[in-house]
Amino acid sequence: MTNRDDWLIDMDAGPIFVQIAKNVRRFLARGDLTVGEKLPSARDLAARLSVNPNTVVHAYSELEVQGVLETKRGLGTFVREDAPVETMQQDLLRSAAMRYASELRRLGVSTKEAMAVLQEVLDAGET
Amino acid sequence: MRKFMTLLWLEYRRSWVWGAALIGSLAFWAWGLNQVSASDIGEQLGIRAGLLFFAAGLGALVLCFMIGRIRSETRQGQYQILLLTPPTGYVHVAARYLFAFAVAAVYFMGIGGLAWWIVGSTGLVLNAGTVAQLVLVCPFYLLGLVLIPLLSWTLLLMIFVSAYRISGSGWIPGTVMVLGSPFVLNWYGDWLFHISYTLPGWRLFETVRALVESTPWAAEIDTSGVTALVLPQEPLWGMLLLAVVMLVIAGRIWQEVEG
Amino acid sequence: MLAKLDDVTKLYGKNDGLRDCTLAFPKGEVVGVLGLNGSGKSTMLKLLAGLLFPTAGRVTVFGGAPRANRARIGYLGENDALYTWMKPADAERFMSGLYDDFDAVRYRELLDVLAVPRRKTKAMSKGERGRMRLAMALARDVKLYLLDEPLAGIDLLSREKILTSLVREWHTDEAILLSTHEVAEAESLFDRVLLLREGRVALDASAEALRSEGKSVVAAFREVLS
Repeated sequence: MTNRDDWLIDMDAGPIFVQIAKNVRRFLARGDLTVGEKLPSARDLAARLSVNPNTVVHAYSELEVQGVLETKRGLGTFVREDAPVETMQQDLLRSAAMRYASELRRLGVSTKEAMAVLQEVLDAGET
Repeated sequence: MRKFMTLLWLEYRRSWVWGAALIGSLAFWAWGLNQVSASDIGEQLGIRAGLLFFAAGLGALVLCFMIGRIRSETRQGQYQILLLTPPTGYVHVAARYLFAFAVAAVYFMGIGGLAWWIVGSTGLVLNAGTVAQLVLVCPFYLLGLVLIPLLSWTLLLMIFVSAYRISGSGWIPGTVMVLGSPFVLNWYGDWLFHISYTLPGWRLFETVRALVESTPWAAEIDTSGVTALVLPQEPLWGMLLLAVVMLVIAGRIWQEVEG
Repeated sequence: MLAKLDDVTKLYGKNDGLRDCTLAFPKGEVVGVLGLNGSGKSTMLKLLAGLLFPTAGRVTVFGGAPRANRARIGYLGENDALYTWMKPADAERFMSGLYDDFDAVRYRELLDVLAVPRRKTKAMSKGERGRMRLAMALARDVKLYLLDEPLAGIDLLSREKILTSLVREWHTDEAILLSTHEVAEAESLFDRVLLLREGRVALDASAEALRSEGKSVVAAFREVLS
């Protein structure tokens, strides 16, 4: 999470604050970020990502509304202990599956064939 | 005050080489004067005086160039930075002028000192009062009469030209000013001449004739031309006033124009 | 409102200039002033800085004329430069002597962050000079910063340093107006973007709003100019 390259922010992919929030959820789902962990200050993260601090603030409030983050006065912004990590993991998995599925549809491949390829890839241990 | 001192510091850092070169050149002139040798005292004195006047004139020219270096600042972009600093145009102009004046004062006192040396080398021994008149009063009178207004005029001209450069018409107002100045000066000078000696003049070198006539070589030269000098006050005040007016206009232009 | 342009027109040169511009700049915004060469970006910033006066209309900064309020404006011009004999320490002396709001400690910190060598400016590269001038501008504690092409002609690494410094130094009670050609690089910094075309405002929008419509600022830029 400390590396700027881990954050996927694309100027053509919609509002930055939405992307920042998505990234935070992704890090939580993958375990790069854990519950109770402190997030960098809006300004620090903004400097690291070279984005306007307002977008980070906006992202953090969105995540607060969604019950993922909480602000502790004077201490900073933290991941809530009760943050719905499993739900995020499910969502991530689901959207990965949807991307795979839409690719399949475009290629016109049957479900059976698709599952076989998936099994093969998983068995080979490729990431 | 702090801002004025900063601008003065800036001017010093910007122009100290000019000042040092100018004042250093006095050593060169001293050497030059020393080289002059002629058969009779009068001729020697004449040549040396001529050389000294030349040194004074050249110094005035150098000082004008020193104070007038604004166009490069407009081109390179320093002027735009200065324009947006808090001090008013008057303060900027005053700082530049003060530095040039300080250098001029030192240089011309140096010239006065060389004049004293020239006189002394003829065997004439001047009393303290006369020395002071030679080294201080005369230089500052000349400074006030000629150089101070000349420096003001140069500064005003260069600010004028730089200011209008931005809008493109550049040299036109500058040329107008240059061509118009002799007429104005002529008219003004005539008027000053006309009112001269209304106030009592300053008597200098009262004792010089007697001194000269008492020297061993007095017989060789024509002493009828050696008289006390009576300097009129009016031209000096008049030119100083003109200098101040020009500086005020320069300051006003500085802060009113576009960058 | 920190600054305003009321129906401002500035005509000079053949193509440069601004026509009938009415804009307001509140505090708390980082505004990107974008456009091609000659579109009026520099003119707009110079008008706000008080270097130029409008042919028509009125420019108001901090409730008054820009030139009169020059002590409260941080302007970084594209073409202005320091004396070539100046070192960063001389620039510090210059700035702290003339500006009451100059923070020398912050200046020195910025010099370190921006890796500005302690040499005379004539011995510096263009990037180093640009970074030094930015340090001078950002070390001033003012509410309005006008930065005209601070990234122009500057190497990639310097540009990154500059953008990061801008993010770090900005505060919510300040407004920064930044003009640049490097739209792609700087777009993530802007709250709002102004796209100028031939002296007129062709687009005035929030950057995030543009992105929710699926357009990056770069894409919007291309669209407006085509």
